[in-house]
Amino acid sequence: MTESIQDLSLTIGNNRNHWQDFLRDQGLTDFTDQEISAIDRTVVLVDDQGQWVGTGSVAGQTIKYLAVVNDGTQNAGARFNRLVSELENRLAQAGIFHLFVFTKPQYQSSFEHVGFTTLAKTDWGLILEKGTPDIEAFRRSLPVHAQPGQRVGALVMNANPFTRGHRYLVEQAAQENDLVYLFVVSQDVSLFTAAERLNLVRAGMADLTNVVVARGGDYMVSYLSFPAYFIPGNEETIRYQTALDAELFKQQIARPLGISRRYIGTEPQSPTTNLYNQTLKARLPPEVAVIEVDRVQVSGSNQVISASAVRALIKSGDLDGLADLVPESTGQFIKNHYQDLHERILKG
Amino acid sequence: MEIKKTALAGTLESSDIQIMLSQGQGKIEFSLVSDVAKQFGDQIKATIEKVLAAYQIDDALVKVVDQGALDPVIEARAITVCQRALDLVDQPQWEVL
Repeated sequence: MTESIQDLSLTIGNNRNHWQDFLRDQGLTDFTDQEISAIDRTVVLVDDQGQWVGTGSVAGQTIKYLAVVNDGTQNAGARFNRLVSELENRLAQAGIFHLFVFTKPQYQSSFEHVGFTTLAKTDWGLILEKGTPDIEAFRRSLPVHAQPGQRVGALVMNANPFTRGHRYLVEQAAQENDLVYLFVVSQDVSLFTAAERLNLVRAGMADLTNVVVARGGDYMVSYLSFPAYFIPGNEETIRYQTALDAELFKQQIARPLGISRRYIGTEPQSPTTNLYNQTLKARLPPEVAVIEVDRVQVSGSNQVISASAVRALIKSGDLDGLADLVPESTGQFIKNHYQDLHERILKG
Repeated sequence: MEIKKTALAGTLESSDIQIMLSQGQGKIEFSLVSDVAKQFGDQIKATIEKVLAAYQIDDALVKVVDQGALDPVIEARAITVCQRALDLVDQPQWEVL
């Protein structure tokens, strides 16, 4: 019995319905328009009777909606391997050699058998990666590594844009540690681009010599580990995702780099970030202490300094009071690029 | 020779082998996933190393996922991945074969 690979276009309604029915039969039920529209390509495995016996999709560098029929006529493992292999070869042709899977714990061994490594695991789900450059290359690419016996702290921030509040938080960490890793979220879906955010953090931190500013890459608060940070999700989804993000940080970042403290700001305004902070406090200790620092307020008022307050100023067009919220470097950048930023905000 | 770009050859199907070749850290570095790594891991690596040597590659990261491939299959996949990684697909090195 021969089975062949065929391409499937999900933009055709009939195909999409058939595909969803097929996946439902295999126990996959979660279809949001957002997820489906992110899919770049889909293949199906068809037997010599024309029946579908498996399917798999790729969105960016992530394998998604992978399912095979286990009907006893052919080894389900062979179908699984064939589909993963096909998707990998297609990604390779597109120049993508580093891929991820986000799946249920029971599939861990299936993916490890075809060369994936587990990055993080919870009772509910796991993230695996394969190819290059992988997490090891990411760690190696960091410009400075701690010496034995040094006390190392870390922060992860989106810094959209970098404010006096961020600065205060990092200063605390810099005072209390020999070395501080400051990871800036790499996902490019904020008002300020990833490159702008990174540059503003670098500029605002230039005088603190024990702070290493680095890109968070795919590994910290990314679409991969924590999509609900960027697209709305319900509370349960956020709990699942933040748990994986926290485990990934603990196992793959903190442990190998010798990080024993993670600094976070209190979060009175964003429920998502607040849940994230709660998860970090539940998952990281005792190996990594979580130190929550109170938000600083604008002197002489009770307004807390936040990046969203800065964005509100840009939107309103009234830059008075900007200097209270951001350091010189960020303020200068906003003034120089005001028109552009203002238009970006209005476009949403 | 220097690796020009990351390349992939082979599949994950039974009796095949998948090899990914990318720039190394100054030497040949292997990662091997195989059910028979204990018995045949060294032999698999030796077969691939022989091909790398024929292409004068001495600096590469070699990621291998073996599904029980025999030596001639391993050699064929290794040749393909080297040709691709060196950007020589349209000018095969016949003397290696």
